[in-house]
Amino acid sequence: MVKVKNFFILVGKRLREFFIGVGKTCKKVFSNPKTIAGFSILMVFVFIALFGELIFPYNADTDVANKYLDPSWEHPFGTDWLGRDVFRQVIAGTSSVLEIAFFSAIFTVVIGTVLGIVSGFVGGWVDKIIMGITNIFLSIPSFPVYLLLAAIITIDTPVTLALMISIWSWAGLCRAIRVQVMSLKERDFIQICAVMRMSKAHIIFKELLPNVFSYIVINFVMAMRNAIMASVGIMLVGLAAYDPTNWGAIINAARTKGLINAKNIAILMYPLVAIVIFQAAMLMLANGLDETLNPRLKVM
Amino acid sequence: MNENIIEFRNVSIDYPLRKYTIRAVTDVTLGIKRGKITALVGESGSGKTTLSSSIIQCISEPGKIASGDIVFFDNVDGEDKKIVVSKFKEKEMKPFRWKRVSMVFQAAQSALNPVMTVEQQFVETLLAHGEDKDKQKQRARCKELLEYVKLDAERVLSSYPHELSGGMKQRVMIAFSLLLNPDLIILDEPTTALDVITQSYIFNLLKQINREKNISMILMTHDISVVAKFADYVGVMYGGRLVEYGKVNDIFRKRRHPYTEGLINATPSIIGDIDKLKPIEGSPPDLMNLPKGCIFSPRCPYAQEVCVGEEPSEICLEDGSKGRCYFFKERDNGRK
Amino acid sequence: MTKDKQNFKSFVKKAGRAIGRFFVKYKYFFAKIGVAVVTLTLTIILLFFLLRLIPGDIVELYALKLQAQQGITFDRAYELASQLLNYDPNEDVFSAFFRYIGGLFKGQLGESYLETGVSANSLLKTRLPWTLFVSSVALFVSFFLGVLIGGYVAQRRRGIGNKIASTYIAISGSIPDYLMALLLVIVFAYKLDWFPSQNNYDAFNTTPGFNFPFIGSVLHHAFLPILSYTLVQTGNWILHMRGSCIGVLGEDYINAAKARGLSDRTIRNKYMRKNALLPLVTMFGVTFGALFGGATLMESIFNYPGIGLEISNRIVNKDYMVVQGLIFFSAAMVIVVNLIVDLIYPLIDPRVKRG
Repeated sequence: MVKVKNFFILVGKRLREFFIGVGKTCKKVFSNPKTIAGFSILMVFVFIALFGELIFPYNADTDVANKYLDPSWEHPFGTDWLGRDVFRQVIAGTSSVLEIAFFSAIFTVVIGTVLGIVSGFVGGWVDKIIMGITNIFLSIPSFPVYLLLAAIITIDTPVTLALMISIWSWAGLCRAIRVQVMSLKERDFIQICAVMRMSKAHIIFKELLPNVFSYIVINFVMAMRNAIMASVGIMLVGLAAYDPTNWGAIINAARTKGLINAKNIAILMYPLVAIVIFQAAMLMLANGLDETLNPRLKVM
Repeated sequence: MNENIIEFRNVSIDYPLRKYTIRAVTDVTLGIKRGKITALVGESGSGKTTLSSSIIQCISEPGKIASGDIVFFDNVDGEDKKIVVSKFKEKEMKPFRWKRVSMVFQAAQSALNPVMTVEQQFVETLLAHGEDKDKQKQRARCKELLEYVKLDAERVLSSYPHELSGGMKQRVMIAFSLLLNPDLIILDEPTTALDVITQSYIFNLLKQINREKNISMILMTHDISVVAKFADYVGVMYGGRLVEYGKVNDIFRKRRHPYTEGLINATPSIIGDIDKLKPIEGSPPDLMNLPKGCIFSPRCPYAQEVCVGEEPSEICLEDGSKGRCYFFKERDNGRK
Repeated sequence: MTKDKQNFKSFVKKAGRAIGRFFVKYKYFFAKIGVAVVTLTLTIILLFFLLRLIPGDIVELYALKLQAQQGITFDRAYELASQLLNYDPNEDVFSAFFRYIGGLFKGQLGESYLETGVSANSLLKTRLPWTLFVSSVALFVSFFLGVLIGGYVAQRRRGIGNKIASTYIAISGSIPDYLMALLLVIVFAYKLDWFPSQNNYDAFNTTPGFNFPFIGSVLHHAFLPILSYTLVQTGNWILHMRGSCIGVLGEDYINAAKARGLSDRTIRNKYMRKNALLPLVTMFGVTFGALFGGATLMESIFNYPGIGLEISNRIVNKDYMVVQGLIFFSAAMVIVVNLIVDLIYPLIDPRVKRG
């Protein structure tokens, strides 16, 4: 009984320490105006993705009588060539875009980090093989491969698309993490761990990972940005058309309807601006995090 | 003939930052004696590098001389010519740099351009000062200097900096500083990155240059034992102020300023007992938030009420020493 | 006789030693070349088997097309398709692979299934010049601008110039290049009608060749693609050059050069620029190598007949052997250009060992 009690006290203590640590880091991270701005915009998008469709449900039914309406209170962004509300389309597309970005960033970071750490830490033949694979992935241009993969896999969920994008985008991160791990390995505190015969798990999880963690966080944000760039691009050529409200799909549809018609230009501007704002927010967030977490790299 | 080659007259140097200004050097008046080695001692951040690099206006950005003059005495045929170098424009400064005052940098490893050979950098400097364009003569001059510092001249000249060892690079820098026969060399902690044997070798070399070529030197260091061995005069800096100045013997015997005493007591000697070391309590002053009164008072074991009131002004003694301490004259710990 | 033999023996020994020394001396080069060759081989294998994963029988697909076109029975169409198509459905994967490798050694990247006489090689000949023209002009212009502006603002970090540069970097970094292209097309082609929105030259009013109307038309058509590339990439190069310069300006040798009385111009050009450019050389190489793959999206927005557009069209039409050839070619160019950069890098940065 006492043992159990002690265990809970210990767990409580650890949790408290953990939350105090997280709180401190958050305070530090959110002292940067760029981080605040980028994060706020991201949160707005997340909010729209979660609750947008509840407030403004999208009806995909066509209503040709009301096609190409000008913006009004009822249709803030007007209607498209089939009389569908563009504002609601953009809102409905947010979750699709964010899901792809989020899943793709997770896959990219996980693959890149694991392979990078293994490659840098183990070295030798393992390193050579992983680097060989990385080289191939870096050499083959990514976009044509996305098109090819889209022909091989049927893309019907955000996760599939995210996975497809990640398969060809982890290599850069893997290489960068490997370089960091290799330079960390030479540093004294890791060398001491080896001398003290600490377990490899300890060195990797307690010493290496915390030291590359800020780098991983920043790259997570950048991976989201790249995933959006790639996914919208794929949608833009008409592939992976599983979700017609995805911003890229809206742009593509309006484009194929013909840019001669100024109404179509107006329609594609809304998702385009949304993408640019989102990309700007990601860039700001990444830069802000970079400034606070890597104080030596004050570039912007 | 003036016995000083450089005089700092009430020099203050500021670093204006975005929100506030940091005064790195405050009201320093100091004469550097011609043909002698003057050491500047102090912890990092005490302003010694800022002070001496202000002579050639190479204070790191955005530092600026806020007030005071730096005067250079040019000796032409036994007659003194007074030049106020702190009033120099960038255009006038350029020929003065390296030709009259040269410098040996703290990190010799990084003071040379990594993508140029030693010879290219020597020649470039010669050309920048409008020296002889004859390649043979240039090469001969470089070789002579490198041989003077006992390096394999041929090999070193064609080397890139990363191909030389630390000690070699430092000797290259010393040869480099002699290139245009300057009147004064500023040595910014010339041996910090070197092993003890190379250190003493470098210092013997510097002493030899000082004697043979009659070149004045400012030696910046925080190694007090080096000072005792090589310097003729010593200035002790603390928090941007020159807290004590005098002949090397006076400084070490009398230890008038409590900070100097602290520094000497905190220096280990080979024979001494390590337990007798007395580190100075407290930490160096925060230049953005200086204590009231004498800035050393919070760490001073002898501090009295008067010390936390006004900041003491400089007290000059007959033997040429001076210091910033209310009890400068009275305090004399000397073993005469 | 024996003397000759001895001479010969000693000659062989000497030659052997010389060759050995040659290899040791240029270890750096051979290591790099070896890695490139291995990467190239693995790329071939990966691409080949990736394409075999694509579902669907090509003959069947083509037969369905023929059936719809000519209104014949499926069996007849299938027969016709297998005759028309340059493809043997009964060939097993490995013999196909070795046939492909054999073709590669002869310089044949891949024949089209669908059109006779069309191959990856012939497409490269007609498409690559357009891709390279647009993208390399844009790359050189943006690199040049980025290096100039980046170096300039790095020295004046508190000035208004740096603020403008930072804003520009943030904006250009937020707009994906193909969306920039779309915006430019909308503004300059549809709204203002200053530049054409499609194609590489005016095929109705000009004849290809060395004449002014043709060249003028080509430049007119290439302007928007080049501009959109340049606008996006310049921000990138400014960012990298500025970062690199700021790093170099913090080095002691810059201050030391000033103390030596060197002029600001010498310091800027010989000290800051030269050192700051070194890391950018590698990046330039990587970017240049990637140009050979074309920019699919950019080219599809301008309907510009480059490699990228060709690849995407051929994927849609399932002409996979050509796709394989074109993708392999672009990957090979990335590898080769990187190899060249690796090999010449020791010549510009003496710190890298020459082997």
